[in-house]
Amino acid sequence: MDKLLSIGKTAKLIGISIDTLRRWDFSGRLKSIRTGPKGHRFYNKSDIDQFILEIDTVALNWAKSDKPKELDPELYCQTRDIFQARLEKLQSQLSKFTSIEVVSLITAVAGEIGSNSFDHNLGNWSDISGIFFSYSMRNRKVVLADRGQGILKTLKRVRPELANSSEAIKMAFTETISGRYPETRGNGLKFVRSIITKEPFSLTFQTGDAKLYLKKDDIELNIQKIESSIKGCFAVINFEELP
Amino acid sequence: MKIDIKKFGTTLISRPAGKEAWLAFQPTLNEIKSDETIIVDFDGVVVLTPSWADEFLTPLRQKFKEVELINTNNPSVKATLAIL
Repeated sequence: MDKLLSIGKTAKLIGISIDTLRRWDFSGRLKSIRTGPKGHRFYNKSDIDQFILEIDTVALNWAKSDKPKELDPELYCQTRDIFQARLEKLQSQLSKFTSIEVVSLITAVAGEIGSNSFDHNLGNWSDISGIFFSYSMRNRKVVLADRGQGILKTLKRVRPELANSSEAIKMAFTETISGRYPETRGNGLKFVRSIITKEPFSLTFQTGDAKLYLKKDDIELNIQKIESSIKGCFAVINFEELP
Repeated sequence: MKIDIKKFGTTLISRPAGKEAWLAFQPTLNEIKSDETIIVDFDGVVVLTPSWADEFLTPLRQKFKEVELINTNNPSVKATLAIL
């Protein structure tokens, strides 16, 4: 029989609260096993090992946690140079199974999101500098995250009237605006949007307590307010529709 | 004159890299008259983003009156030029 873990131990391993685990159990995101006389929740160790390996879970927990676990060096780019080198590796991995057109666009989207993290947080990271960057060819996704200031704080410098992260994320994806005034820039996330809405890709992008989900042919932005907030940004680029 | 963008790299994503390309190319550009036609050739470029392009193409277009872009069929090049 598989080794069972208590809910407390499981919460610690994943880096989330026991309450979140209970919610995930209800919602089916991560099912527990009820056992013992009182029906306590337990988890199969192999399920949890697999879950931890899911890169988007690792990235989100790293972005969210007050005291993040040190990342595996394979998942972490402290500087742009490392990011550039890993991005080129992604490019070569992608070219093994898809066309140069698709390789070009996925790499450009990932490159723009990762570069944005460095551009807007240089000298201003909350604590850990650099970004989380990883990908899974099996699951057809690229994941990026930073522990920076987030879009609201960055854009508030030029648009003090912005009230929350949902407004900020909307502005970042629709208007040409940059928190690095007086420099002329601020097209990056519009570029990302222009590609995602034309191709068989999708994007989940979270900053603060706002989460955007964007897919092919979307005209309106689907932005939701979510319960657990992050300081920086977290992005998952999916391309599961590719053969 | 013709500028072969691939000589700056084939995965062109970041602003600092674009800015460095622009600065490093100044001595060459300074030898050219401002009314000369500049042909920018994207042949061989695999990935381009607006971040890189904004640091190189935007000032190039300000410095020279005639800037012609060729071999722009790569989809990330197309998407970048559409938004720049």
